[in-house]
Amino acid sequence: MTNARPTRRFAQLALVALAGLGVLAQAAPALAQGQREPQAEQFVQTRAQRVISVLADKNQSVAQKQATFHQSIDQLADVPRITNFVLGKYARTITPDQRQRFAPAFRAYAESVYQNRISDYHGETLKVTGSTIRKPGDVIVNTTISGGQLGQPVQVAWRVLGNGGSWKVVDVQFKGVWLAITQQQDFVSTIDNAGGNVDVLTKQLQRDAQRPASR
Amino acid sequence: MNGEPSRTSANTRRARARVVALIAAGGLAVSAASAHAQNAGDEPPPLVLAAPAVAAPVATLDSVDAAYDPLQGFNRGSFGLSMGLDRAVLRPIAHGYMAVTPSPLRRRVSAVVYNLGEPSTTVNDILQGKPKRAGRSSARFLINSTIGVLGIWDVATGMGLKAHDADFGQTFGRYGVRPGPYLYVPVLGPSNFRDSVGRVLDFVTDPVGIVGGGYTTTFGASRLAAQTVDTRARADNAFRALDDATDPYVTARSAYGQYRAAFIREATREVQALPDFDDDIATDPVAPADPASAPPETAPTPSTTQ
Repeated sequence: MTNARPTRRFAQLALVALAGLGVLAQAAPALAQGQREPQAEQFVQTRAQRVISVLADKNQSVAQKQATFHQSIDQLADVPRITNFVLGKYARTITPDQRQRFAPAFRAYAESVYQNRISDYHGETLKVTGSTIRKPGDVIVNTTISGGQLGQPVQVAWRVLGNGGSWKVVDVQFKGVWLAITQQQDFVSTIDNAGGNVDVLTKQLQRDAQRPASR
Repeated sequence: MNGEPSRTSANTRRARARVVALIAAGGLAVSAASAHAQNAGDEPPPLVLAAPAVAAPVATLDSVDAAYDPLQGFNRGSFGLSMGLDRAVLRPIAHGYMAVTPSPLRRRVSAVVYNLGEPSTTVNDILQGKPKRAGRSSARFLINSTIGVLGIWDVATGMGLKAHDADFGQTFGRYGVRPGPYLYVPVLGPSNFRDSVGRVLDFVTDPVGIVGGGYTTTFGASRLAAQTVDTRARADNAFRALDDATDPYVTARSAYGQYRAAFIREATREVQALPDFDDDIATDPVAPADPASAPPETAPTPSTTQ
């Protein structure tokens, strides 16, 4: 009988120790957050600036800009991964056929959205101000974009995935709003409202991509 | 996928004040403007991400999660009505304003409107227990109202006093009040229960509003008109972004929720808890990214009419 107490005590201690281990395990990635990732920063500095410059280049025709933009997007962003991400839960249930139709439609739509705004860009410059490692291979790069038409500099964060010298942007944040996350919620809602049929969204994107810029 | 950095020079608190102002005026369709105008504003962004090292208390997921929107039926109706009103009334006014004024002039207007919101920021800084921020916003107001000639020139920023925003919604959030259900307030735009109460409080406690005699005086009415047109003009890019969305209602809701969550993290110094990027497929044995990589290059060139 006298043993009962110590035994329980031991059990409690063991629990505490286990919990402590759990905390430690969580703390490790947290510590990593303090570090910067120079290569990811360099990547954003070069590639994102390039896209901005393409859009603002007065010496290029609109058609030239579109072509250059089309290429530089692939160097900057992980298009397949984003394409999958914006489908949200439907990425799991989409058929290969549907995916074949959705991917180009999404791409055309996204490009047309930006191209309709070409006139918004006027030689802004991008400067990396720092970065945060969420975990290895998953980095937030913070930048300031200034000049051009901007009255005051704006802060833009880029989420880049990769490693070593190989990085790709998967999301961009401005004023707290992540674009890919917002896009995902937009698309998932549209598919939800179509009873889960991804093709309905695909058709809408195809239509929208052909639409003239909204004024 | 739209998100050019909007131009700007103004801010959220002002936007908020304007919003309440609209309540008083009753009937101008700023609609999505509030959230988006705020997005269009400048001001050091809410990126707590920039905060180094510290494994700060992790914020809740509401910025990324699906929104809490039990009143969706009402909200969608309200959204549709407000967007219709915007198209009929506010957009033409704002576009006219933008057509006849050069952007440097519009920036001065924004600066004046913004300056009048500084005292309200100070009130909330104090309520949040942030004396340094309160000192900054009140110093900004004094300096810009005098040396900066009624706020036309933001000379304080040049003196190292950078602008920031604060409102009652943020103050509530600072003390742990949750947003509650999403609410699309007719004409005024996206909100939630917490921020709606906040807006009313912002309105009744606004020092400039109190001194200026509400919206019945010439000053008050002029301020309201300037706020409204300025905000709508600055939000124009955000409105265009909504036009591009496949479900504009959800896009506005998502953007507002993320924006406000970030704004409140600014006060709590929490770090955003982002899920892993492809969480949704990480567990999926069937659909890795490969199938998607094939087609993108075949994207047809959209016919854009500039």
